[in-house]
Amino acid sequence: MSLLRIENGGFAYKNGPQILKDINIDIEPGEILAVLGPNGAGKTTLLRCMMDMLHWQSGRSLLDGEDVRSIPASKLWRRMAYVPQARSAAVSYTAFQTVLLGRSSRIGAFSAPSDEDMKIAERVMERLGISYLADKPCYAISGGELQMVLIARAMAAEPEILVLDEPESNLDFKNQLIVLDAMTALAAEGVACIFNTHYPAHALQRAGKSLMLSKDGRSIFGDTTGVVTEDNIRHAFGVEALIGEVETPQNIMKNVVAVGISGEAGEADTPDIETTAPDETMLASITVIMRSNERADLINKAFREYNHLLIGRMGLPHRRSEKYIISVMLEGPAADIEALSHRLSLIPDISVKTTYE
Amino acid sequence: MSLRRDGRLGAAWIVILIVLPFAAAIIALGIGRMSIAPGEVFDVLRAAISGKHASSELIEKTVMQLRLPRIILACLVGAGLSVSGCAFQSLFANPLATPDTLGVASGAAFGAALGILLGFNLIGIQLMGLAMGGFAVALTWLAGSGKDRGGLSYIVLSGIMIGSLFSALISFVKFAADAESQLPAITYWLMGGLDKANYRTLALGAPVIIAGIILFMLIRWRMNLLPLSDDEAKASGVNIRLLRGITVVAATAVTASCVSMCGQVGWVGLLIPHMCRMLFGNNHLSIIPASVSLGAVFMIIVDTMARSISAAEIPVSILTAMIGAPFFIVLMRRSGGWRI
Repeated sequence: MSLLRIENGGFAYKNGPQILKDINIDIEPGEILAVLGPNGAGKTTLLRCMMDMLHWQSGRSLLDGEDVRSIPASKLWRRMAYVPQARSAAVSYTAFQTVLLGRSSRIGAFSAPSDEDMKIAERVMERLGISYLADKPCYAISGGELQMVLIARAMAAEPEILVLDEPESNLDFKNQLIVLDAMTALAAEGVACIFNTHYPAHALQRAGKSLMLSKDGRSIFGDTTGVVTEDNIRHAFGVEALIGEVETPQNIMKNVVAVGISGEAGEADTPDIETTAPDETMLASITVIMRSNERADLINKAFREYNHLLIGRMGLPHRRSEKYIISVMLEGPAADIEALSHRLSLIPDISVKTTYE
Repeated sequence: MSLRRDGRLGAAWIVILIVLPFAAAIIALGIGRMSIAPGEVFDVLRAAISGKHASSELIEKTVMQLRLPRIILACLVGAGLSVSGCAFQSLFANPLATPDTLGVASGAAFGAALGILLGFNLIGIQLMGLAMGGFAVALTWLAGSGKDRGGLSYIVLSGIMIGSLFSALISFVKFAADAESQLPAITYWLMGGLDKANYRTLALGAPVIIAGIILFMLIRWRMNLLPLSDDEAKASGVNIRLLRGITVVAATAVTASCVSMCGQVGWVGLLIPHMCRMLFGNNHLSIIPASVSLGAVFMIIVDTMARSISAAEIPVSILTAMIGAPFFIVLMRRSGGWRI
């Protein structure tokens, strides 16, 4: 059973067209799901329906198999937390007091935060590296800092699922990285993250799964490598895009470059949105360098899931520096190998590269 | 002498905020046409508490029968108006939302004037004030809060319109009132004053105000959720509709009780919460108790001035307006840079 699941979700605003139809997604602990789509395709609406702030007109959201609508708010919001767009957030309190508000669902109507609540708030801020903001009023900090405070507020509820509405919009390069890194780190610790984004590249670099919405109401959900493709981007956004790779000493990162407008999105002559899966069998090898032992579980889990591809495996501890090198040999369909390689590339703090035959 | 990290008041502030209203009350008890030293005031109070009579009957009567009820009323009205002003500001996430600007005070005043016109007793007047105050805030809410709660001016503009509507209705009540007896009563009452204070009116009006203040004190941490946007508030896991509902009912009831006891005393609900927000920030853990305490102190001072500056008593609302209006202008001019 998945942690969170949407079954056949559909929604239309009063007197408006059907903007969401037949949405199906599921997400497991520790996964990141990116929701992509052009302006007006219903990204925020989807999140709001999923969290029961708006009601699905058809279909439903399930948390651990239980319909979200039937879960009492105080219980639901201990498991799920919401990070609004920074520009729509209230900013009257200091950062620390804002983070404390995240404990609301666990504090009685006539009580104030306990020492325990305060410790949790302090810990969350420390973990996100924003302890220095604690006593500053939220209207006096930068947009990037405010976004981090809002993430901390959400994390103070100790949720299993984090829902972020365009967390990196309106931020500069560095702050985008800070926010995305924070999300990646939280996912590595087991929190399921769902985020809306305008950047297909961020989906490719951060999210294992993606949902792409197009304006005509169609959508596609699956592994990011199968969803965020040049064809699907052309269809959903009406943009001719090229997906390329940028190699760093540590990793190979995917990037998306928009090269031109391809006519109206969702035009009839564009091919249907679909997952493309080249199925040639090939050989490949993946090399991973772990800088610490922290991510070993995630790496092993990924290899276990793709066990059928593995034809050889070698692990080399480098005792002096406490680093660890893993090398695996694979044989299988190119798409599967690429999926595993992508999955590994999403794990923070490791170097990983794939070499194909 | 500072705030704790979570926004709670430090011990020093707690002591100051408790002592200040009592100190102001004791000094005020001695001020008036007959000057009484604080020591003598103490003696009278001590005698009253232990059930004995003080040495001078005149002093005792002045303190216990004339000044004390009035000062208790000033305390309650000041505390009540400023705490409900504070609640309204947070509820509408708007620094300019107060009982006056939302039309609540005008609505309650209309209800009370209507009550006087119809010859109701104090309870009836109070209930009319409550009903019309609630009606006014509901109208303001309907007229001024749309999808965009961020627009600061909408709520205040619609509050001004609703307020002027009820002012017109008050004029209509005056027009309809009997010019010999009712009209002077209504007019004088509308000017606002605490001179009608006695223990009987206190017994009727005080419970609502005290209950409202206790309620706000109890839920004050949770009130921090009030200024949040709808989605943020829902995502807190707290029943935000219930919280908003309780807040608006309690703040309206407190305002209406104050208005029915002493007329339309303006500006307190704007002035004091803002002073508290400047001193302590926006966290309700500190600004609710601070509003209660400083509101009481402010009202005691202003009322003491009203009854002792000149031989004839000045209606207290004239003094609060003379202090409040310039303050409001200053606030409005700098309100771009601050939020709730």
